[in-house]
Amino acid sequence: MIKKFIVPLFVCITLLSCKNDDDSDNGAGTLNLEFTNIIASESVVISDKINYTNKSNETYTISDLKYIISNIVLIKTDGSEFVYPKDESYFLINEKDSNSKKLTLQNIEGAEYSKIKFGFGVDQSKYPLEGANFVPTAEENDMIWSWAAGFKFLVFEGTYTPEGGETDNYLIHVGSHGEKLDNYKEISIDLSQNLSIKNQATSSVTIKADIAKILDGKNTHSLQAKNSIQIDPDNAPKIAENFAGSFSVTKVSN
Amino acid sequence: MRRLLYIGLAFLGISCNSDKDEYTPIPDATENPKLEFIVPSNFPEPTYDFTLNPPTEKGFELGKKLFYDGKLSSDGVISCGFCHLQDFAFTHHTHIVSHGVDGALGTRNAQPLHNLAFMKEFTWDGAVAHLDKQPIVPITAEVEMNETFASILKKLENEPEYVKLFAEAFTDQKINTENMLKALSQFTVMMISADTKYDKIERNEGSVFTEEEQAGFDLFSAKCASCHEGTLFTDQSYRNNGLPIDPEYNDIGRKRVSGLETDIYKFKVPTLRNVRLTFPYMHDGRFFTLRQVLDHYSDGMVDHETLDPIFKDLENNTVVGIPMTDTEKEQIIAFLETLTDDDYINDNRFSEF
Repeated sequence: MIKKFIVPLFVCITLLSCKNDDDSDNGAGTLNLEFTNIIASESVVISDKINYTNKSNETYTISDLKYIISNIVLIKTDGSEFVYPKDESYFLINEKDSNSKKLTLQNIEGAEYSKIKFGFGVDQSKYPLEGANFVPTAEENDMIWSWAAGFKFLVFEGTYTPEGGETDNYLIHVGSHGEKLDNYKEISIDLSQNLSIKNQATSSVTIKADIAKILDGKNTHSLQAKNSIQIDPDNAPKIAENFAGSFSVTKVSN
Repeated sequence: MRRLLYIGLAFLGISCNSDKDEYTPIPDATENPKLEFIVPSNFPEPTYDFTLNPPTEKGFELGKKLFYDGKLSSDGVISCGFCHLQDFAFTHHTHIVSHGVDGALGTRNAQPLHNLAFMKEFTWDGAVAHLDKQPIVPITAEVEMNETFASILKKLENEPEYVKLFAEAFTDQKINTENMLKALSQFTVMMISADTKYDKIERNEGSVFTEEEQAGFDLFSAKCASCHEGTLFTDQSYRNNGLPIDPEYNDIGRKRVSGLETDIYKFKVPTLRNVRLTFPYMHDGRFFTLRQVLDHYSDGMVDHETLDPIFKDLENNTVVGIPMTDTEKEQIIAFLETLTDDDYINDNRFSEF
């Protein structure tokens, strides 16, 4: 007799507890967000044999290129926003790891979107532990200054040769330091065409980062003038500004 | 009919599997009352924002367990408490620099832990801007605990006691970096040392200085309190106090954080609370006695571009330091001993055992 009640009761409870997870009919879809790092329309190659030339007439090779992307927000054609869950919105883009460049964002609200916003680095201006759960990933990828308990937002390393000069290493690490040096940037870019997210469908957006702009963006940086930028109150903000201006959307597939 | 129901149940069970990671109800989750943080009446307002991480009973208990657990280090031995011993106001007694895993040596002297809720920045050069992030430094430093958060979290997940404590301490019940750091802060932020003889005098609770202590207090107020300011005994600034550069470390101090040449060899003005217990002194633990410290200020300073102007005769561009007679030094030391808080070093709430 008791069993007769308990079993249906259990079914009811189980059904209720499952209700929130059932997203098959809420119109949500998936967005594949792909980052491509390019220089002069070609994909960046991590190699000591491939030379690039900057505006300071220096040639340079790239041995490491990594950066943190966060706080992804999609903006609908009516101006309202879909905010991707903040906790899950930290990504490490590592040129050496092709999987890291393809982000799969699930459960995106079905709608028409015309803009995308994201952060470069980790915004700790409002909450000191923002991004704390990204620490293990950042640690594994050497994106933490352990002595300062801070994230490296960008790691860009290699060798450079000034015109007629000797080859040397360069090392650019940009992050935030306390309240005084905040290099977090919010990047907002128009999509090349509207993105439509449909129920249970997958759309994709390709974002291009023009890596040449790290040195030659709003500010021009000569590696010979300074080949090591780490904790640098003058140059790190300029590099951060340059990099924030390097992104554009090249492709939208609905 | 019943068979159908069971099949149905099995299906429902499967469809619910995705929930597993997100929410594991703990059947015996108990009440978790908030802890009250009482600001001593002679203290300033805390800098720590308690609304972002309000200490609770369980959070404090978890933080304490983590603080004293060697699992936070790669060799399983070095806990936070290894270098921060309560008997010595949470410093590494007699150790010049902190010791880490496999006998590794750091480059700086472990600082005392107390009144952290009132501090703006942490470590000798202010590299860490918030208490919640401070543990990342010793945990990940190769010469200290040399561990990764991914590895620590894995170790904690395998311990039922931690699973239970995290679940009780935090509403999302998760064992993750954020909660771990929050718990450590809930423990360390409650460490208040404010029951010294000095405090009882400052708060008019019936204590009085001896003649020697009073003379020392007057001298201290005239000669030391411009930097060791107020009831926290620090203005929390960074200064070069004229220590000869130790070539073994060549520690550039605050410059590492600010990148500014003008900050080279500057270190944080330390609090002097419990100073009798926290030897050796200075960022590299070079002085073993308070007398050596005072001798440095009276006779041992060397000039440098960033030497604090307070120690100089700017007209003649000479280093004057802090002139003190032997008697004056003894009196100042007598006063400094009134900053020892026996209640604090014996407070069971913070004890390992």
